[in-house]
Amino acid sequence: MMITRKALNRRTFLRGAGTAVALPFLDAMTPALTAATKAPVRMAFVYVPNGIDMRHWNPANEGALQELPRILKPMEPFKQDVTLLSNLTHNGGRALLDGAGDHGRCCGGYLSGVQVRKTMVDIKAGISCDQIVANDIGRQTRFPSLEVGLEDARQAGDCDSGYSCAYTNNLAWRGDAQPLPPVLDPRALFERLFGDGANLSPEQKALRSKQRRSILDFVTGDTKALQANLGPTDKRKLDEYLSSIRDIERQLLKAEKDNSQVNPGMDKPYGVPADFAEHFKLMTDMMTVAFQADLTRVMTFLVTREGTSRAYREIGIADGHHPLTHHRNEPEMMEKVAQINTYHVTQFAAWMEKMKSIREGDGNLLDNSMIVYGAGLSDGNRHTHEDLPTMMVGGGGRSMNGGIKGGRRIVYRKETPMSNLFLTMMDRMGTKVDHFGDATGRIEGLDLL
Amino acid sequence: MRSFCFGLVFAAIAAGQSFEQAVQPVLAKNCAGCHQDRLASGGFNATPYMKLASLTQRDDWERIVQRIRTGEMPPKGAPRPSEAEAKALIAFVEAEFTKADKLVKPDPGRVTARRLNRAEYSNTIRDLLGVDFRAERDFPSDDSGHGFDNIGDVLTISPILMEKYLTAAERIAARAIGADPLPKKPLEFEYHTKDKNIRRPNKSSIEATHRVEWEAEYVIRIGLPGERAAGAPPVKMGLWMDGKLLTTKMVETKPSGLVYFNPYSAEELRLELPEGDHTFRVGFIDDEFVKGLSDKDAYSDKRNKFLNSITFVGPFAAKGERASRKKLLICDPKLAGCSTKILTALARRAYRRPVTRAEVAALDRFVTLAKADGQSAEQGIQLAVQAMLVSPHFLFRIERDPASGVVHPISDLDLASRLSYFLWSSMPDEQLLALAEAKQLRAQLDTQIKRMLKDVKAVSLADNFAGQWLETRNLDQVKPDPKKFPEWSPDLRDAMKTETRMFFQTLLQENRPLTEFLDANYTFLNDRLAAHYGIPGVDGPEFRRVTFATNERGGILSHASVLTVSSYPTRTSPVIRGKYVLQNILGTPPPPPPPDVPALDEEKVGNAGSLRQQMEAHRSSPTCASCHSRMDVLGFGLENYDGTGKWRTKEGKFEIDASGTMPGGKSFQTPAEMRTILKDNAPEFSRCLTEKMLTYALGRGLERYDRKAIEEINQRVIGSGYRFETLILEIAHSLPFLERRGELPKQVSTKTESASR
Repeated sequence: MMITRKALNRRTFLRGAGTAVALPFLDAMTPALTAATKAPVRMAFVYVPNGIDMRHWNPANEGALQELPRILKPMEPFKQDVTLLSNLTHNGGRALLDGAGDHGRCCGGYLSGVQVRKTMVDIKAGISCDQIVANDIGRQTRFPSLEVGLEDARQAGDCDSGYSCAYTNNLAWRGDAQPLPPVLDPRALFERLFGDGANLSPEQKALRSKQRRSILDFVTGDTKALQANLGPTDKRKLDEYLSSIRDIERQLLKAEKDNSQVNPGMDKPYGVPADFAEHFKLMTDMMTVAFQADLTRVMTFLVTREGTSRAYREIGIADGHHPLTHHRNEPEMMEKVAQINTYHVTQFAAWMEKMKSIREGDGNLLDNSMIVYGAGLSDGNRHTHEDLPTMMVGGGGRSMNGGIKGGRRIVYRKETPMSNLFLTMMDRMGTKVDHFGDATGRIEGLDLL
Repeated sequence: MRSFCFGLVFAAIAAGQSFEQAVQPVLAKNCAGCHQDRLASGGFNATPYMKLASLTQRDDWERIVQRIRTGEMPPKGAPRPSEAEAKALIAFVEAEFTKADKLVKPDPGRVTARRLNRAEYSNTIRDLLGVDFRAERDFPSDDSGHGFDNIGDVLTISPILMEKYLTAAERIAARAIGADPLPKKPLEFEYHTKDKNIRRPNKSSIEATHRVEWEAEYVIRIGLPGERAAGAPPVKMGLWMDGKLLTTKMVETKPSGLVYFNPYSAEELRLELPEGDHTFRVGFIDDEFVKGLSDKDAYSDKRNKFLNSITFVGPFAAKGERASRKKLLICDPKLAGCSTKILTALARRAYRRPVTRAEVAALDRFVTLAKADGQSAEQGIQLAVQAMLVSPHFLFRIERDPASGVVHPISDLDLASRLSYFLWSSMPDEQLLALAEAKQLRAQLDTQIKRMLKDVKAVSLADNFAGQWLETRNLDQVKPDPKKFPEWSPDLRDAMKTETRMFFQTLLQENRPLTEFLDANYTFLNDRLAAHYGIPGVDGPEFRRVTFATNERGGILSHASVLTVSSYPTRTSPVIRGKYVLQNILGTPPPPPPPDVPALDEEKVGNAGSLRQQMEAHRSSPTCASCHSRMDVLGFGLENYDGTGKWRTKEGKFEIDASGTMPGGKSFQTPAEMRTILKDNAPEFSRCLTEKMLTYALGRGLERYDRKAIEEINQRVIGSGYRFETLILEIAHSLPFLERRGELPKQVSTKTESASR
């Protein structure tokens, strides 16, 4: 829950030992936003690595959802918000002529529908659909988009068969060669969204913002002068720098203008919890507030990295995730993979529960969201890129006209590009794009029937 | 680089054959069926490649050769060339490439503008301002390429990183100068067990995370309820911040005799704390008394004296002036012209070059700006420092080209930065900068390098270069299964890191032969690691040099750090270890497995036979055998070391068989014998190390045109008896390190797949 200075008396900003006092989630404290305008539609992509055991993912039938298969079981209470999309393919994840490296390839290009360049150095993917939307509507919120993850980048060694680690460390791409790293530390996410907790008076805050902007002006001037004499490669590096500066300038202006501080209703977390579920919950709690307070409308969530060997001792699994997925039909190993898949969905379901519990207008936050939960591989053992596990949760603006019906499974024609889904979602966000990735058109069935 | 090595091996076989004999027939017979003219499967048409002249299309040909070599093409079911035919084709093409390479004009390549990575940022802040800042805790991870995280092309900037740069600059500038006034009255923050904002890691310590808002002195008050039995000895209380012991104090625990109920005492410590979020821990050191107490008794004030609160009172102005401030404020900022003086001196060091008047004037405007907002001149300087720290001149290392497209020596100033970031992961010091400004650096290159290697800052080569080359940085991420490896602990992990770090440091500092990486009969141990290795006679937590009494161990391939990062959480993996040796020691990484070939079935361990038996069965498949015969033999040679590097002679119920025969025919029975064979490959090892270190030194991937420089460096290293210092000196004297190719303004970078090989 959040409150803004506009909506609530300042006395509610009880400040203890440098941290905000936790407040319960109360509907009365929602921001001025809901009263004034229709709630916006939010979009998020949740990515899990190493494929999913499809035997326990796909229901037997098309159409209305009956009892959910094992891995999806945790979603049972929100079945009516779930749309399962079958037979979507990411062709760019396949080798085509590039040989081995399915893990390296399938994440970096997942949201852009392209095949990433096979290289360790001069990386090239494509702008991802979340960023296309962020470029379009991001100006309306303090953060055009948020990138979140739970697993730190590998610190040494190579990633997969000649692919740069940038492809597996990042889900969102702002441009061909500019990945957006996920925030992993709950403390860092907290400070980004809700401020660093410094006790500043409004005057001090205004002065800080003004001084920050003068610094940004200064370095912008510096950079432009510097760029004049550089070759194109170095120039490109400084372009990345400049575009990041512009983003922050906009953020500062936005923050000055609405002059509101969001109170997340939680204490500032310290460090990364060792327990996976706790880490997941901390991050998604803050993501929920960010959506609710309209700090952003676009998010990507890289749960863990493609090819990760993370062990899940929390549920008694000591072997690494990736080695387990190469199970060669050993029942014991396949069982463990299914357990990990289910464990992930369990955490995700808890997040969805939270989203659904937050009232917004006549409905709830989830009604006004499109959350895609999916993976860039279906069978992690054989590295297949067709019939990718894809679950859409939320009404996509149900309180308005033409929301998503949910409660069913849609089976598309084989080899339907994943890009078609993303193109359709961009439409729903109000971002009109003519061409995207390998899209051949829109997909049907994502409207209220 | 790999294709180059193959070229040498096979050149002899090809001798005497022509293109029409060795290449053309294979293409016509085995490729053209699918890849010809209109039926150009996968967009590849073989026809243009049936002429000798087509070999100039190097990238295409490297791909063709790569596919034939890995057996990826022709695919299963299609007619394949015989092994001899394939080898002859590869050998011919590679020999032609080698010939062509000799004619190529020397090209130093070009390095893309590099932003500082996290380690470089932290070190530079330390050396520039004397502030201890840990970027790895705050900034997003740096992506890496070619195994290193200092590669210009891969080091990108995102809005989130920019945000971090901005806030870091604020904090760092404030800590360095401390111009912001302290609050008039000290504040008090209490952490108490009854408020549940304190943690109890064990019965005699408490821990709380506290944000220190001002770099200043604080009084830390510790609440100690209870008392111990009469005659209980005093105990030593320690205060740690972020794991570092700051101070200790002796504390009485026996009854004071002054109170009859709720006994309680408090201890106070006064010390200077750095700004930022910190974890504070207070506890009794070597507290024997609590060991016998139950949980209930441990927190009973009748039975025990324990800890239950930490209170921070402050800030108080520090007595002495902080060192960073003294160094920066070289005159009184209130006086006219002083800020210009200060900023000129600092900007020169921050930008690692002399600065122009206009640049200083632009920085000086922040002083005017701050004053206009009612702040002091010192605060204005602080603001200017902030601006410097987010300037591209500070964050990026940009090398200038005088005339585009032309090969030219880099400037002395750029050379100073190349050297300092190579050897220190930090900015040039005054001596380097002054020499560069006087254009004297090249003349004194060797003297300067030798001086730099003696400096304590050279330890960053062990941390940043060796930590990534040997992958020991991954020790922080691996999680050995506590059921299989109950002895695994943070202490053991840290000891493993220290061993490899000290070993690398010693080889470098003592200028020892690089071959000691392969077979040194000594290492660095403390009691913890010695116990892990089963080596007697090492007492105490401090590390010392230990010479091995047996030949169980020798060189880095028997370091627990290396053996742990190349294992699965539950067991060893001969494949991963074999790949590790090929990639990091011999410099011949195996090609990735071709698609559709299942990864090796090494998961069924313990059911039907030993891991080894099962893997050998798997290797009967010819597609797998070509690579695994090279890879696995090296991994099996290390099977005497378990998943955390402990010595063993059995794996479950099976005897360890660590014998093997290398593809060249040499065979071994024990890890020691394998080391001897690896040492016979010393030239390959030092070439591999040359490639890795040159990549790291340049901050770019190596290209075909670098092969000549690599060979030259390696020959000199070999000639010197593999001296470590020779490697460093020769890298610094090499063409790619000293020179640079310009870039035409509109020329698009045309790096190809070769960059990834």
